[in-house]
Amino acid sequence: MLMYSSMFRLNVKEEIKIMKRFFKGVSVGLLGCALMFSALTSSADRSVKVLGWGAQSGPLKSFGVNSETALRSAVAEINAAGGVKLGDGTMVPIEVIGYEDSACKKDQNIAILRKTASTTDAIVGMGTTCSGSCQAMFGVLQKKVGDASDSGLQMPILADTCIRPGLAKISEWAFRNVPNEIAMYDALFAWLSQQHPGIKTFSGGTETDQGHSFITHTAVIVQAAIKHGFEWVGPDVPELGPKVKQGMKELQAAAKSQHWLMGDTNYSVQARKIKKQNPDMVLVSSHPFSACGFLKEMKRQRVKPKLLVGLTSSASQETLNGCMKEAEGIIIPTGFAPITAEAQKANAIVTGAGGFLDLHSAAAWENAFLVKAAVEAAGITAKSDTLAEDRAKFRDALATITASDGLIGPVTRDTASGEASKPYVYVQVVDGKWKVIHDPRG
Amino acid sequence: MDYYLNLINTIGIHTLLGLSAYLLILTGQVSMAQAGFFGIGAYTAAILTVIFEWSILSAIGAAMLVSGGVAFLVGFPALRVRGLMLVVATIAFSEFARMFFYNLKWRVVRDGAEIGPDGTMGFAEIRYFNDNGWLNWEVTIFLWVFVAVVMALIWWSDKTRIGAVLRAVGEDELAADSTGINVTVVKIAAMTAGGVVAGLAGSLYAHQVTDLDHHTFTVLLATFAIAYPILGGLSNVFGTLIAVLFIQGLLVEGLRFLGDWRMLLFGALIILAMNIKPLGLFDNQTIRILRNALGVKRRSGSV
Amino acid sequence: MEDFWYEFVEVTQTISDGLLFGSTYALIGVGFTLIFGAMGKLNMAYAAAALGGAYAGLAGFVLIKAPLVLVFGISAVAAAVLGYAIYFACFRFIPINNHLAALMASVGGLFFIDEVVVHVTRGSPLTFPSMFGDVFFEIGPYGIRGDLIFVFVIGLISTGILLYILFKTRLGLATRAVAQQDVAARLCGIGVHSTNSVTFAIAGVLGGIAGAMTAAAVGVLSPVMTVPLTIKGIIVAVIGGLGSIPGAIIAGLFVGGFENVFLYFRGIDERDMYVVALLFLFLVFRPNGLFGTAITRD
Repeated sequence: MLMYSSMFRLNVKEEIKIMKRFFKGVSVGLLGCALMFSALTSSADRSVKVLGWGAQSGPLKSFGVNSETALRSAVAEINAAGGVKLGDGTMVPIEVIGYEDSACKKDQNIAILRKTASTTDAIVGMGTTCSGSCQAMFGVLQKKVGDASDSGLQMPILADTCIRPGLAKISEWAFRNVPNEIAMYDALFAWLSQQHPGIKTFSGGTETDQGHSFITHTAVIVQAAIKHGFEWVGPDVPELGPKVKQGMKELQAAAKSQHWLMGDTNYSVQARKIKKQNPDMVLVSSHPFSACGFLKEMKRQRVKPKLLVGLTSSASQETLNGCMKEAEGIIIPTGFAPITAEAQKANAIVTGAGGFLDLHSAAAWENAFLVKAAVEAAGITAKSDTLAEDRAKFRDALATITASDGLIGPVTRDTASGEASKPYVYVQVVDGKWKVIHDPRG
Repeated sequence: MDYYLNLINTIGIHTLLGLSAYLLILTGQVSMAQAGFFGIGAYTAAILTVIFEWSILSAIGAAMLVSGGVAFLVGFPALRVRGLMLVVATIAFSEFARMFFYNLKWRVVRDGAEIGPDGTMGFAEIRYFNDNGWLNWEVTIFLWVFVAVVMALIWWSDKTRIGAVLRAVGEDELAADSTGINVTVVKIAAMTAGGVVAGLAGSLYAHQVTDLDHHTFTVLLATFAIAYPILGGLSNVFGTLIAVLFIQGLLVEGLRFLGDWRMLLFGALIILAMNIKPLGLFDNQTIRILRNALGVKRRSGSV
Repeated sequence: MEDFWYEFVEVTQTISDGLLFGSTYALIGVGFTLIFGAMGKLNMAYAAAALGGAYAGLAGFVLIKAPLVLVFGISAVAAAVLGYAIYFACFRFIPINNHLAALMASVGGLFFIDEVVVHVTRGSPLTFPSMFGDVFFEIGPYGIRGDLIFVFVIGLISTGILLYILFKTRLGLATRAVAQQDVAARLCGIGVHSTNSVTFAIAGVLGGIAGAMTAAAVGVLSPVMTVPLTIKGIIVAVIGGLGSIPGAIIAGLFVGGFENVFLYFRGIDERDMYVVALLFLFLVFRPNGLFGTAITRD
């Protein structure tokens, strides 16, 4: 099977000589490449530099495209209004020195993070959206500020989303701008139980190979529904391995939910089980592709629940692209909708620039303003010789910001956990478009 | 500097991954099981350093043993088939291993926080190097000592009868068999050695990225593992290194400036490379050119 | 007793759903097996080309409101073109004995096609129209999807046409001649490259139909489908016996049915493990697959 040419042999001394010369040549070549790889960091004017990254290739490409557009647009707005104030009082612009493609792959995210930290003057890294990547990136950071025994990276990261419980506590240098899903779903089901007293029973399904979907479904959404009086009508499913033996409440719900994988093409078994349970309300805790696959199968099987509730990440254009008709009526709590003047203005700008604003990319927009607030509170000097101090000062300032302006309302942060609490609205697919059906903001 | 050190580490780890496939490819068989062994090594080493607080060397050693052991066990049934069947059988194994990691849940409470692999949520905070104050260059040297040793071992074995036997089996199994070589033993040995090397690569990888989940150990990773020796050529171990430099250094990192065109070129350049140099980037033709360029006289009598 | 009857109905329904869905796997498997049978090589870019064809069909639907029959036609033609392009880029110029380089080049092809799709669609899933999507036969306690029956029938027809071409036409004769012994075929004046490229194109037509069918069956097209379909297609081709077209069909149905049954009984966490274990068993005990034609090219 294998076509293989015979190997030539020289004596060892000659080979060592060749190898030495070979390596000299290769090192020169590598050095040349290395110079080519370096990001252009020196800028004649002073500016506050940031570098962003996200998925710009692969199936999650829309995340990176939208976040980049949102970030750059927001930065342009800030600069048009004068920029940010440094420690010595001068106003300088924010410069997005680059936006890299991390493809939501852990090693690429870490590589870009290290590149930003060690070869650029950026005071903060602004990436990414995928929670698995954040988990890896935060892990290479120094855990506690000032811990000399910890050789982790000392570079602040401000991620635009990365929704998954407990990520920020991996490191004090890690920040993210995510809504609090526990609060959102709690409030949603409280409202739904008032609005729809006829809805008593519920069931649902999730994609199990996607960390965010799975944990939010089992630990947050199902629990919130149960808490507000909805009755779970899952079937008696045999033990699903070690998960159920642990005996935790959410794991019971997990065992009784329908499960699929995020790339699955056949949902017939799951849809039929839901049909048999005949619930009034169905939860579809899944990203757009598999959520749409499942919704379409439910429609084929003539399963018509009175209410559909979805996962935060699916409150996006992608769901409409994938199954506009079948998603009709699905309700999702989200951190962004163009319902305030600020939000509408931002939406117009970003759409004009070729992106979409949804809860992921809106966070990127807001982050630009968060950066401005932190820079001004920190009093940095934006000179390359004070880079390490600037980054530390920036981190400290960011850690103490407890309130900022989000696009649809004020955002508060809990400094202990590093998590944010964002305002939210409930949106529903009505006539093929996302419509805000309830605005619980105070 | 940190960025380049990280890149050098990645290159080292991927070189090991490629070399783990190299040995079996020399015997003429393509194995997609390397992703599985890589994952086994990664999780084993990570569990040992995080949950059992072993030192890194012992953890790596144990991981190598475990992956080698699994490779040995997989080799028996898998190597009964050849060619494309083996490709499929090893894909099956790698997928099985991946699903095992997808289900693996082993949580332990330490200092008030939960650690350990958490099924689909992944295995976070594998922070051995940082927690113990290793500097980045120390990690790089540590990692590359392993790479250099493995490369040297394979290079040396290539020069001895081991290499000749492997390549003989690769060239023509029937002929090799008729000279008294036990073909099955050779293939299983190559697979086991490959498993050990892949386990080493995985354990280093786990501590470099600090976070593992089943999404990493896919058939795509196994494809990369065989891509390196195929792309690099099978003349010697440096071919694999060059292929890793090409793919990880040039295509993945070096072309970042192309923005979102980078991944488009990725596939196209691989196609191009295989068309221009079907025997690998570092095949005999390249070696001959390099020799002439470096002005080395050839000993008469050799090809 | 009622419980048992209910369970029985559920299981047979699950099997029938799985079998029908398996026709999509069968078609992809046939494509893989055809190329392997003809050239002894594995075309890793096959499923990508099939889905690429489906995307082209979808473009037809979205841009010019093409009727569904035309959508499937466009998918088939586009996939054939892609198939030919893959042959040209990844197989044509690589020495015929070098299986590894061709394999690697086709992997490059897979990456390339996938990334092009991602670029054009921004990675977003897209809704795909379905033929007979609303047709649902309710026979007693059973429900059978009309569109899956349609997929099954089209699959049978396509493979029937394929077998006719292979065994009753000169083109088919040339393909089989090249597959058996390319040197002798060349001596008889059969152009190896032109025959192989036509084989790829025909496999492409099949792939385009398979891709469009799968997309119609799921209702959504997304680049995340490529790798799982590639793996399934290869598994099906191997279980069926490499080079055997009827084998691939039966294996496809078999895998589809089994997959669903495992899902029903053991849940998603173990479903794929069982499928993989099943494959492993096959390889160990029956390496030539169901109907292996024992083409052992060396």
